[in-house]
Amino acid sequence: MNPADVAQSVLPLTSSDLSLFTLFWHAHWIVKLVMIGLLVCSVWVWAIAIDKTVLFNRTRRAMDRFEQAFWSGQSLDELYRSLSAKPSHSMEALFVAAMREWKRSFEGPQRSIAGLQMRIEKVMQVTIAREIERLERRLLVLATIGSAGPFVGLFGTVWGIMTSFQSIAASKNTSLAVVAPGIAEALFATAIGLVAAIPATIFYNKFAGEVNKQAQRLEGFADEFSAILSRQIDDRE
Amino acid sequence: MQMRTASMISTGLHAAVLLFAVVTFTGKSLEATPVEALPVDLLSEKEFSEMTKGVKDAPKPDKPKPLVEKIDTPKPVEQQAPKIDTKKEIAPTAEKPPEPKPPEPKKEAKAEPEKPAQETPKPDPIAEKLKQPDKPKQETKTEQPKKPDKPEKKPPKFDASKIAALLDKRDPTRNAATGSELSSSPSLGTASGLAAQLSQSEIDALRARLMALWNPPVGAQDANSVQITIRIRFKRDGTLEIGPQVLTSGSGVQFNAMRDSAVRAVLVGQPYTMLRPDHYDSWKEIDFTFDTKEMFHDIPVRRPL
Repeated sequence: MNPADVAQSVLPLTSSDLSLFTLFWHAHWIVKLVMIGLLVCSVWVWAIAIDKTVLFNRTRRAMDRFEQAFWSGQSLDELYRSLSAKPSHSMEALFVAAMREWKRSFEGPQRSIAGLQMRIEKVMQVTIAREIERLERRLLVLATIGSAGPFVGLFGTVWGIMTSFQSIAASKNTSLAVVAPGIAEALFATAIGLVAAIPATIFYNKFAGEVNKQAQRLEGFADEFSAILSRQIDDRE
Repeated sequence: MQMRTASMISTGLHAAVLLFAVVTFTGKSLEATPVEALPVDLLSEKEFSEMTKGVKDAPKPDKPKPLVEKIDTPKPVEQQAPKIDTKKEIAPTAEKPPEPKPPEPKKEAKAEPEKPAQETPKPDPIAEKLKQPDKPKQETKTEQPKKPDKPEKKPPKFDASKIAALLDKRDPTRNAATGSELSSSPSLGTASGLAAQLSQSEIDALRARLMALWNPPVGAQDANSVQITIRIRFKRDGTLEIGPQVLTSGSGVQFNAMRDSAVRAVLVGQPYTMLRPDHYDSWKEIDFTFDTKEMFHDIPVRRPL
């Protein structure tokens, strides 16, 4: 890259017009790319955050509702019939999967009770894993942006400072008026990186804790339900 | 899908924040006046030593201005001599004119008793009373001539030595005065200036010559740094006036060998033609140090500088 071009691209930026747009516009294209990328990351982070918040709230409410129905004394067959019609999530899915396995074992041409207990537990484990996977989806994006965002921003800053130093060398003028705009626009990249990374890290920690909590709740329900089914199996025999 | 609405919300949020930032984020220009550049010259040692050399054909300044350290309008020294007040001297004479007044009431007093005396020979108590005040008036009359004496006792003291003390109020330690202009006239070398001294090239030449001739005894290089300072007195033609004096004291075979080698070097080296005769005063006497450690980097000690 020609130093004269750098000088021309940086020098017109005087300290008088340091608006956000001019900061972006006078930056080197690599810095621009970094800035745009980080902005997109920030948008993505907030989209995931909104999505996850809604999802976790909905899941928690569904769990509360299901637990209420489950412990209300309603017969399990009835509950199964009402739930199996529509696709369900989390605790409902767990219950439906276990019940389906139960029914299949008893309503088939030959009853296979021998390994029923083990089968039901396996089915519930798989369902829990699937549910957790659903809750955890895209959380890795938050983690990645949270950890890599500052570095990407720093890269833009370093690049911007490099070009501004090139412009200093080209103009043979070290006055602050020449140096400052380049450094300001370079630091802008780091600022955007931090703007993207800080919410990402915070949301990641929050959602990771939430996933943990819900997974434990599912495990607890699975243990409880498998105990109930185990007693039923023993009674039937 | 759920994710799509979430990303749309997020995008809208970012757009709003960016718009707000674009509107509000403006760099206020800091008002900083450009600093005047401070010119700095880099001088070599030789240039520096030649810088203060006086020039004999320098143009003479038409009026040597006084050396001042501050620019200021010259203040006239205040005349603080005690004012001789002539009014006080006049005062006693001015008081005199009222003196003739007292006799007037006396005449009235005297005139009044005459009239009752014509009408009634009875002694008038009023007349008597009027006569009585006459006595104190006469007393005052006698006292008044003494008054002018009192002011004459205090003649205005005019002490010449006191006036001198008042006049010379400047601090005796100050060595420069204020004036209307800084003296910019080039001087022909100040007392402390390095005028007409040996230039660095002359010193270098002398040192190179002595170092080339100096043949320190074998083993001296390995020993600890031994310095031998020798005072050399030159004649005008560059030869030695007297034999080199060894200023460093020491003992031992090695020291003696070293000292002898240094003396030998000085003796062999003459005449030292690299020293210009027109600077004779500055190289008339030179203390030169032979150092084993800094054999090739030593700096001669110059005496009469």
